[in-house]
Order: sequence, then C-alpha cells, then structure tokens
Amino acid sequence: MTTYQKQSTNQSQKLMVFVLSMALYGLASLFTELIPKFQIGIVELSVEYFFFIPLTLGMLFDPMSAALGAATGELVFSEIMLGQFGGLGELEKFITVTIGVYIAGRMVKDPKNRVMVGVAAMVGTAAQMLMGTVVDILKVQFAVEDFEAVAGLPESVFATEGFAFLNDVLFSGILFCLLPTLYLVPKLYGKIEPLLGMQPRTSSTFLGGISVKVAVGCVIAFACAIGAEMMAETGLALIDWEAEWAESGTAMAVGMVVAAAVAVAVLVIMKKRSEVNSRVA
Amino acid sequence: MKAMAKLSEGILDKFSMDFLRNQVLKNAYGNDDTVIAGLDPRVLLAWYLFFGLVPWFVNDLPFLLGCFLLVSVTTVMARIAGLVLFLFFLGVFSQTGYLLIVTLIFGGDVSAVGPLLVLTLKVATVSLASITVFSGLDPDRLSNGLMWYGCPEKLSFSISYAYRVLPMLMEEFQNVLLSYRLRGNPPAHDHFRGKVRYLIYQVKIVIQAFYPLMLNTAKRSRTTVEALEIKGYRYAAVSKEVRKMKLASLRVTYDDFIFLALSFLWVAVTILVSNII
Repeated sequence: MTTYQKQSTNQSQKLMVFVLSMALYGLASLFTELIPKFQIGIVELSVEYFFFIPLTLGMLFDPMSAALGAATGELVFSEIMLGQFGGLGELEKFITVTIGVYIAGRMVKDPKNRVMVGVAAMVGTAAQMLMGTVVDILKVQFAVEDFEAVAGLPESVFATEGFAFLNDVLFSGILFCLLPTLYLVPKLYGKIEPLLGMQPRTSSTFLGGISVKVAVGCVIAFACAIGAEMMAETGLALIDWEAEWAESGTAMAVGMVVAAAVAVAVLVIMKKRSEVNSRVA
Repeated sequence: MKAMAKLSEGILDKFSMDFLRNQVLKNAYGNDDTVIAGLDPRVLLAWYLFFGLVPWFVNDLPFLLGCFLLVSVTTVMARIAGLVLFLFFLGVFSQTGYLLIVTLIFGGDVSAVGPLLVLTLKVATVSLASITVFSGLDPDRLSNGLMWYGCPEKLSFSISYAYRVLPMLMEEFQNVLLSYRLRGNPPAHDHFRGKVRYLIYQVKIVIQAFYPLMLNTAKRSRTTVEALEIKGYRYAAVSKEVRKMKLASLRVTYDDFIFLALSFLWVAVTILVSNII
C-alpha cells in the first residue's frame, strides 16, 4: 500500500474545504460589498480586496472545492443575502471566480516555493479580471441600443474598461492578492491541514499541473459565461418579432387587461368566500 | 471645521461592525410579517424569473417604466433594510451613472442620455426585483423554494448555513481585529504622510487578522461537516423521501394567485399604454 494518497480524495474532506472557503470568502465579500468603491478620477476600481482568501485555500487544499466554495460564498453571502442578485450577470461572475481560483490552485506544486505561489497568485487574479473585463465590454455592447450610433460611447467603454483592467491587475492585484497570499500560504502551510484531518500538499501528493484537459475545461466554462450574453442578443430579436405580432391590435392589449382584471376580481371573491366558509365551519 | 469632524465621526460610528451585523440580520429575519414574506417562495421565484429576465430584452420605455414602478411598490411592501437600499442606489449609479459622465467627456451629447436611461431602468428593475424576492423572503423559505425547482442541495444548504454562521463569524472577526489593535502600536496620523501610513497599517491588520480566522474557521467547518455526516447529510441530500418531507410545508394560497394576477394586470396595462403611444 502506498502511504501517500492524492490530496483530499475523501468526499467529506472536500465538503469541509467547500464550507471553509465559502464561509471565509463570503464574509470577506460582504465587506467588499459594503466598502464604498474607490474612484480615481472617473475610473472605478472594482477591487476584489479579499481575493487572496480563496487563492490561499486553493493552493493549500483541493483547488476545485475551494474554487466552487468561494464562488458559492460570494453568491450566497453578498448577493442573495443583501438582495443584490442580478440574474445572468451572477452566472458569469460565478464562473470567472471559479476558473481564476482553480487555475491558481493547480499551478502550485509545492506551497513552500514562494516564487511559484507568487506567479500563481498573479496568473489567477489576472485571468479572473481579464474574463470579467471581456464580459463587461460585451454586456454594454448588447444592452445599449444603437451602441455604435451614440457618439463617444464605444471609445469610452473600451477606454475605461481597459484602463480599469490594467490598473486592477497592477495596483490591487499586487497589493491585495500577491502580498497577502505570499504572507499567508507559507504561514498556514502545515498548520491548517491537520485541522481538517489532511496531509499537507507536497510534490508527491500534488494533483498534477495544468494539463490540456484543464485548459480546455476552463475555455468551455468561459464560453458558457459569454454564451449567456449571446443568448441575450438572440433573445432580443425574438422579443422584437413577438412585439410586431402583438402590435397588430391594441385590442390584444385591451383583452389582456380585461382578462387580468377579471382574474383579480374572481380571485378576491373566491378568497372572501373561502374565508367566510372557514369561519362558518 | 468642528462640525465636519463631528459629522465624519458620526458616519464612522454608524458603520461599526455591530451596525452592519444588525442590518444584515434585520434584513434576513426582521421582516417576516410583510405581505411579500407571506407569499409562497415558488410563486415569488417564478415572478422573479419574469421581472429578472424580461426587462433585459425589451427596449420599450413605457414598459420598462411600468415594470420599474411595480417592483418599487413591491420593494416598499417588503420593507427592506436601509443599508440594502443605499447599496442598491450606489450599485445602479456605479454601473451606469459614471458611464454617462464619461460619455459626455468623450464628446457625446445629450442624445446619449436616451439609451443610457433605458440601461439604467433595466438594471434598476432587475435589481429591485431581486431585492424584493431575496431580501423579502426569510432564508429558510427561500432555500426550500429553490430546492423545489431542483437547485442543487449544496446551494440551499449554503444559504441556510450562511445565515446562521455569519453573525458568529462577524463577531469572531471583530474580536480578532480588536485584539490585534490592543497589541499593536498604530503610527501617528495627524499629518498627511502619517495618515497614509495609518491606512496601510489598518489594511495590514485586516489581512493579518485572517490568519487566526482561517485556522478557527477550519476547525469549525470540520465540526460542522462531521455533525452533518453523523446525521446522514450526504445520503439525505439525494434521497427523494427526505426532500418530500422538507417541502411539505409549502402551500400555494389565494394570496399568491392574487399577487400574480395583479402583477399581470399591471404589465398588461403598461403594454396597452405603450401600444397607444
């Protein structure tokens, strides 16, 4: 029998990592949501101040569980709890956060190697931010009618998004992702794993670097995120077509109003009746 | 000058950890006696599906305005905590308000206001609808509703767990932070350079505070998962019978139908108005 297992093959340990990553990053992203956004001039810094938490956990534990946990934590704690759930947009954020953390986690072979930890932290952060920027630009292009027709709008979107991306990677990427990860990973290594009943990651228990399979998986997932936006575009045409068909008569709309009014009246009467009945009974 | 100092102190006081905790808890559990909270979560989720998706695809101004008015009314009915509404306004402005300013700088004129107003209305409608549903419902009912629609058990578990563990986590984080402050020696901050150094010092402390917090949370999550395993969580998560028992409390009443019918009536009226115009 081999004494070394591949890291965290155990289902309940995966759940532990998931819960840990979810609780910590959820708490942190709640703060991020509450901290007023910094603005330098007109450029808004959409900083993920606490992205170092899932990065650190992804490098120490099973990357997939940590990544999914972080994305779920952000969704549940800061979006659903504060009621800021935004439908399609959240799907794209969920996927980009997962990919960013997963890539960073798979890159680190030995958490003691500081250079590798630093490189992985920067690559993960940059990947996440780049995907976010691409989707942002696409979103504005699809959502605003006559995008090209509005003078000054396309240039302004590219300029602000591009500048914000560079700025995020160089400024907040280094300050809030690279430095804290470099501080936390060596400090936690060997101390936090026993608390979950696991062995620390070494080069022999390492899951294996980024293979073609991982890369293809990431690309497919990102395509899904963009696909949501593409769906919006085709959906636009569909609704327009329906609107034309409905425009054939204002009578249609009148009919709908009457039907709805009748439905409301009937339901109110039925409710009153059932209340009376239950009182009699 | 003195008044300014007092004002900033007042704002800082308001944003203490306790205030945040209270607001979040109030948002989650504080308003379960409203009309919205009494509705069936499945009906509300279906309602959200319409108002969360349709506005993205429609560019008709009267229709969007109508939807916006409707979700504003439901938001008032759900009695949402003030902090959430403040964040909502901040969010809407940061998504589209700054774009307007930038457009004007890059040589656009007033004609840019039209499309941007449509975009702002879309964003506002969708986020108000989600605030109504996700803050108006209490978390257990919400997670039951999501489960009925076949969302993964992990998601509804996460929601229930998040609401219970968050106050504890916040308190612990505050304690760790306070103990770091007690032991630390902050740099003087009466001039500009000192202020910058003070800010860096604060950020450093927050990051360092995550080290003990991570270790503590690791211990706690192990306890949680072990307790779940003892109760047979992973088996229950996939068992159909358990799911049925959990969802037995959901019931659709006349109120739900009236709510849906009223929303439909309002939407029909807005369509009529936009047709006449």
